[in-house]
Amino acid sequence: MFVTRTVIILCFISLTAAHVCAKTLQITDQNGQPLQGAVVEIEHDIAMAADTTIAVMDQVGKRFSPRLLTINKGQAVRFPNSDDIRHHVYSFSKTKPFELKLYAGTPKAPINFEQSGIVVLGCNIHDSMVGYIYVADSQSVYVSNALGNIELPDFTQRYTVWHERQARDISERIEFNWPIRQRHQKIIITTSVPLPRNTFGEVFKEHHGH
Amino acid sequence: MCQLRGTFKLMQRFFRSVTLCITLISLFGCQTLHKRNSLYQQFGGQAKIEHVIDAFILRIGANSQIIHYFSDSNISHFRAGFINHMCALLEGPCEYNGDSMVQIHTGMNINERDFNLVVELFINVMTDAHIPYQIQNKVLAKLAPLRSKIIEI
Repeated sequence: MFVTRTVIILCFISLTAAHVCAKTLQITDQNGQPLQGAVVEIEHDIAMAADTTIAVMDQVGKRFSPRLLTINKGQAVRFPNSDDIRHHVYSFSKTKPFELKLYAGTPKAPINFEQSGIVVLGCNIHDSMVGYIYVADSQSVYVSNALGNIELPDFTQRYTVWHERQARDISERIEFNWPIRQRHQKIIITTSVPLPRNTFGEVFKEHHGH
Repeated sequence: MCQLRGTFKLMQRFFRSVTLCITLISLFGCQTLHKRNSLYQQFGGQAKIEHVIDAFILRIGANSQIIHYFSDSNISHFRAGFINHMCALLEGPCEYNGDSMVQIHTGMNINERDFNLVVELFINVMTDAHIPYQIQNKVLAKLAPLRSKIIEI
C-alpha cells in the first residue's frame, strides 16, 4: 500500500516533467535474449500530420545504412551510394517491389512508398547486404534498444510488433493488447536463425579461419 | 513472240531465285562452318565454360590474397555474369547483358599484383580442365584488352 502510494505520488510529481510514467515494453526472444530493433506500432485514432520529409537509405561499406528505416505511408526514400563501387538494390516485397542500379556518383530519383508494410532490401551484387524499410500506417512507431526496451505513450492499447528475425512470415505485424492497469509488459517474439548468405565470404569462410 | 518473252521472263525469275538460293545456302553454310570453328566451340562450348568458371570460383574462395575483393559478392550473380560474358567473348551464341567491366570494377582498387594472381588462377583452371595451350592463348588474347578496364580504376 505504501509502495503504491509512493509510486502514485512520484508519478504525479514527474508527470509535468518527463514521461517517467510512460508504459515500458520489454521484448525478448524465446531464449530470453533482448531483441534490439523490434518495431512497435501503436494503433490509434489521433490525427497527426503526415511526414513529408524524404528519408534516406544509404549504402556504406557494402551495408545498408541504416539497416532498419521506419517511415510513414506515402513517404519517399532516397537511395544514395556512399561507396565507390556499384550496387544493385532490389525489393521483391509485395509492399513495394523495385530495383535500382546505383553506380558511384550517379544519384537516382527517390522512391515513394504508398503502401504500409515491410520492404526487405537486398543487393544483387552483394548478397551480404540486407536492409529493411518499415512503412507504418500510424505516426506512433518505436524501435527497441539494445536491451529490448521501448517506452510507449500512456494511451497505448492495441499495438503490433515486427522483427527482422521473427519466425512468423517476414511481412506479418504481430498484434498485442496492453493489459489494463499495467505499466510494464514483457513479451516474447519467437525468432529463427537467418539463412546463410550466398557470398564468397560466407561459403568459403572455413578457408580463412572465420 | 509474246510467248517467247514470257518464257524468257520465267527463266529470268528462275535464275534469280536460284542465285538467291545459292547465296542463302553459302551464307548459311558459312555461318555453320564459322560456328563450328569458333573459339567457343574449340574451348568446349557451354559445358566447358561452366566447368571452368565453377573451378575458378573455388580457387578464388580458397585464396587469402584476393578473397577480400569478393567477400560480400553474390556467388550466383558472379557465376551467371561471368559465364554469359565468356560465352559472348568467345563468340558463342550469347550476348553479354551485364554491366561493363569498368562499371563492375570501378572503386575496387585492384592492384597489378592481385590482378596477375587472378589471371594465374584462371590459367591454372583452364590447364586443369585440359584446354590446349593454343586455345588458352586465344582466350587470353580475348581477355587481355579488358585489363585496363579492370585494374587501378
